[in-house]
This record gives sequence, C-alpha cells and structure tokens, in this order.
Amino acid sequence: MVQIDNLTKTYGDLTALDALSLTVKKGEIYCLLGANGAGKTTTINLLLGFIKPTSGSAYINDVSVVEQPKLTKNHLAYIPENLMLYPSLTAVENLDYFSGIANKKFNKEELETFLVDAGLQTSAFHKSVSKYSKGMRQKVGIAIALAKDAKVLLLDEPTSGLDPKASNEFGQLLQKLRQKEVATLMATHDLFRAKEVATTIGVMKDGQLKQQWAVDELSLKELEDSYLETMSYNSL
Amino acid sequence: MIIHTFKKETKELWRDGRVRIAFIIVLFLTAVAIFISTNHYKSVNEQYVEANANEREVWDNQGEKNPHSAAHYGTYAFKPKYPLSLIDQGVDKYTGTSIFLEAHRRNEAQFIAASDQTGLARFGDLTPDFILLFIIPLLLILVAYNSITKERERGTLRLLKSQGAIGWKIVFGKWLAIFSPVFIISFMLFLLAGLLLSNLPDFGVFSWSSLITLFATYMIYYAIFINLVLIISATVKKSGIALVLSLSVWILVCLVLPKMASNLAEYKYPYPTRQEFSANISKDKKLGLDGHNPWNKAAKELEKKTLKEYGVDSLSQLPFNYDGYRMQKGEEHEAEIYFKHYNYLKTQYSNQNGIYQKLAAISPYLPTRFLSMAIAKTDYNTHWDFSDAAENYRIESQKFLNDHFAKESKYGEWGFKADADFWRKLPKFNYEPPSLSKTIQTNMSGVFIMLIWFVGSFTVLFFTTKSL
Repeated sequence: MVQIDNLTKTYGDLTALDALSLTVKKGEIYCLLGANGAGKTTTINLLLGFIKPTSGSAYINDVSVVEQPKLTKNHLAYIPENLMLYPSLTAVENLDYFSGIANKKFNKEELETFLVDAGLQTSAFHKSVSKYSKGMRQKVGIAIALAKDAKVLLLDEPTSGLDPKASNEFGQLLQKLRQKEVATLMATHDLFRAKEVATTIGVMKDGQLKQQWAVDELSLKELEDSYLETMSYNSL
Repeated sequence: MIIHTFKKETKELWRDGRVRIAFIIVLFLTAVAIFISTNHYKSVNEQYVEANANEREVWDNQGEKNPHSAAHYGTYAFKPKYPLSLIDQGVDKYTGTSIFLEAHRRNEAQFIAASDQTGLARFGDLTPDFILLFIIPLLLILVAYNSITKERERGTLRLLKSQGAIGWKIVFGKWLAIFSPVFIISFMLFLLAGLLLSNLPDFGVFSWSSLITLFATYMIYYAIFINLVLIISATVKKSGIALVLSLSVWILVCLVLPKMASNLAEYKYPYPTRQEFSANISKDKKLGLDGHNPWNKAAKELEKKTLKEYGVDSLSQLPFNYDGYRMQKGEEHEAEIYFKHYNYLKTQYSNQNGIYQKLAAISPYLPTRFLSMAIAKTDYNTHWDFSDAAENYRIESQKFLNDHFAKESKYGEWGFKADADFWRKLPKFNYEPPSLSKTIQTNMSGVFIMLIWFVGSFTVLFFTTKSL
C-alpha cells in the first residue's frame, strides 16, 4: 500500500506539493486528477525517490521512501506517460532486461506468459519494439510490473494519447491488477477513464489535495461537476 | 545487473547498423595496415640481412692493406628492424637505418626512409599504430558518446531507476559492452601479428611477452578513453553535446596536446643546428690531438710524454710503431669530443622528454605513444642506444686496427700492410637492444602516469554515475 503524510516539496518560493496526505490500500486504484502543474507528477516522482521531499513522509508497503528509497523499488512498478523501451530489442528481450534489473530471472516461456497477461498480441512478442504503438508499449510496461510482482503501481498519465480502444484495454488490465491486490496510484487528466477504473479519486490543485471521493459515491455527471467546481473555486 | 546490462548493450550495439559498419571499416583498415606493414617489415629485414652479409664480406676480403687505410675505408653498422615495429613503426622512418663507421668521425645514421618519400608522405601512412592510437578511440567515441544520454533522452533511465537499477552497475555493464568489441578486434590484430612474427625465425627476436605488454598498454589506453567518454555522457544532458565534447577531447588529447608538447619541448630545449653542432665539434677537435698531424701542440706533448715514459731518446727506439700509437690516442681524444657533444644532444632530448612526461598528465595519448614505441623498440631511446653501440664498436674497431698497426710495424713504416686474413679477426657488430624490463624501467614515469589515468578515470566515472 501507499501511505503519504503531509508530504511537501518546495523549490525556493514555489510550493510544488503542499502537505499532501493520502492512502492507497491493497487492491485500490487511486486516481489523482488535476491540471498541469497541480503536483501530480511531483507526487509520483517523490514516491519513486527521484526527488527528495522538503518535509513529510511517504511509505511504500511500510518502507520509507525518504529513508530507504532503494528498498522501496522492490515493491513498486512505474509506467510513465510515454513508456519508452529499447527500440532494437523485442518485447521479450525488453521484459527480460527490465526484470533482470529488478533481480528477477525468467525463462522465455514465463516472459511470454507475462506479455500474454498484459494483453500483447503473440505475433508482436519477437518483433523489435521500434514499431510498437504507444498502447503496445504500455502493455509491455504492465508486463514489466507483472514480472516484478509489484505490490504498488505508479502510473503517470498512462492513457494520455491512447485511442479509446487501447485506453479501454489498459483500464481492463488495471482491473486485473486490482484483483491481484496491487495498490495503484494513477495521475491522470482523463476524468472519464478515472471514473471507470478508480476506487478513489482525488483532485489536486496548486500542490494541494482539494477533494477526495470514493467513486461509488458519485455519478459521472456529479463527479464532473464537482471536479469543475473544485478547479474553478480558487480561481475566482 | 552488470552482466545483464552487458548482454543487452551488446545486443543493441550489434543490431545498430552504424556500429557494425564502423567495426567492419576498422577491421578492413587493420587488415590492410597489417598487410602493408608485414610486406614492409619483410622487405626491410631481407635488405638488412643481405646488406649485413655483403658489407661483412667486403670487409673480410679487403686483401692486404694498411690498417689505417682500412679504418678510413670504413664499414657499416646496420640497424635491425624489430618484430614489433610491424605494429608500431615509431620514429624508425625518421632516424635512418645504418651508420657509416670510419676513422676520426662519428657519423649519424643515414638512409632515412622519410627522405626517400614524395611530398605525399605528409599525409601519413596507414599503419597499425595509426589505427590503434587514433582510429579506435574515434570509434569508441562513436559507440559510447550517447550511452547514458540516450537513456535520459528516451526516458528509459527513469524506468531503470524505478526497477531499482544501481547507476554504476548499469554503466559498468555498458563499459564492458563497449570495451569487448575493441578488445576482440585488438586481440585479433595482435594475435595475427604474433603468429606472423613468430613464424619468421630469421628476422630478429620476437617475444610474446613484449607483444602482450604492448597489447596491455593499448587496452589501458582504450579503457581510459571509454571512461572519459562515459563521464561526459553521464554529465551532459543531450547526446549532441556529448558527441561534440567527446570529439573535442579526442582532438585535444590525440592531436593538439602532442603537437603542443612538441613545440614547447623544441622551444624550451632546442637542439643545435647541424652547422652549429659540426662547428663546435671541429673547434674542440682542433684544440686537442690530431692523430694525423705529428706537429701540432698536443702531438708534440704526447711525443715528449711517451719518450719519457719509455725512457728512450727517439720514437724509433719505442717497442711499437709510434704512428699507430699516436693515431689511436688521437682517436680516443676525438671519441671523447663526440661523446661530449652527443651527450649534450641526449641531455636536450631528455629535457624535451621531461616536457612530454609532464604533459602526459593531461593527455593519455602521450604516455601510450611513448610506451608503445619503446616496447616496439622504435623510439628515440632505442635509436640512441643503437647509435651509442655503433660508436663504441667504431672506437673498438679503430683500436683494433691502430693497435695492430702499432704492434706489427715500425715507426715511419707507412707502407705496412696487414695480412689478407687479418680483417676476419675483427669481431662482428652485434647490437642487442634494451630488454623489455629495462625498457619498462626507463619508461616507468609513463607507466605510472597511465596507471594514474586508469585508476583516476575509473574513480571519477564511479562517482559520476553512482547516483544517476
């Protein structure tokens, strides 16, 4: 699970993240919504240990991101907005390499199984990924997470730029991971996809978590209205 | 993680057409260079063996002759071509191949290969050392400049870090993948050279230990280069900048600094001009004993001293031919003058070398170049060593001839002739170049600087990439 308590990040006078607190439990999908610069990616980067917080704490499966950033990597997987792989390698080779980096060793059949589970068509397994669409690359990203047996999945705008079919497939994959009790934190602009896959939705603005709802509490229309209201509230 | 990255990088490099083409070009160039060098080496050595035999035959078959006439007739000391000159020709082309040995004069090596070439020789030759010292580092830059920047630009570095990658391990895996093909190509080149050379029994003494030392020198040189390029790739953000910086380092290290070192050395410790050098020797010679002139001041003093020493009143009462004796004393005096002036040249050379050694601290090319030539026995030190050995042989030969003249004839007997078989008694000129261990000792500062570069660049690379 992901536990964030009063996490703050400042750059000089600029506060990128302001006392963020949230929890993503096992089997939950938490979608962070917000405009560009709201602090979504900063949150992901802090959880990945790419940047250090100014104050506050964060835990991945009870391991402190601040104190033991390397150890937290054993528990998480990350898929960025535009997942780039090694273009001259095949999907199987890419998966083998990234798994190896995480100290996971699999034979060819096992690697192919992960790719099947991630929804990648079999005919693409041994083709160079240079010609893969973004959706196919994201599926390899999911396969990397599956191979790692990650308990926490961090997604940064993963459906941005995907066509509706690919986006829908991606959502289904997240549901599969949810059944495996993976805690997913997803930063996104896509309100409709968030409503479809998330268990909890949080709205960020100016580095603060302004609203948080359980998805079951609201209809899509109510969610949209609330989101727009939150986004415009401070601008008035 | 290191081996895993090594395998992945090797796959990527192999599939990258750009790299494959570069390696094929280097292999082709290397093969051509070895072919050209082998032919050159064979032809020069055949000439050496033939010239040595012919010259000795001429010397041995002079017939009856006055020993001092034979001394003026002279002979040649031929410089052997060493097996590893196949890989590094060093300064051989500019130092001459033989020294004419005659009475009263120390001559410089002649028949300089470079002087026989046309103006086109200014473009340089395609030799294995050119490929090893200039082309392979360039190839390393082409392969390695974007090793880390491309991971950043693509975004794969973030993914790797999220998988728990450790920066220095990833980079060391890349290092191995870049080093391996260069190691294999160089290994093939050296092995081929070794097999060729070890199967040429007539041509000099080939030593596998020298070849392995030379190989190790180049491997250290490449390791340093890879480290420099990877440090740049890890430090800058864009591949384009990494390429420009890496090429700038190559230009600076391989082209600018060596030329700067040469200019600076010549400026600070200039050699005298040939005219000055000859004039100074002539001046010193005139001040001392001239073996041919019994009336000069020094000759008269020697005459008095000799008469006194042997307790006789006239030169004809001496138990030897005084003309031969005086000739030998004059020879010894001239030899001292030559040693004095040549030692000055050596001191200047040594001072110039000092400048190169200092600049080696900022260019790994310089110690590599000097070590490579030294191990191949194609450097100036070996040439000086040969030149001194030839001079010592000349002095011994002159003593051999003058002593015979003094012992076997009487004072004033200028018509004396040595027997026809006398010339065979003169020992042959047999030059033994410095051993490998002696060469390493002489170049210890270069070895030390290279090791500092090696360890230092690895340390900087480690700390630069520790937290990628």
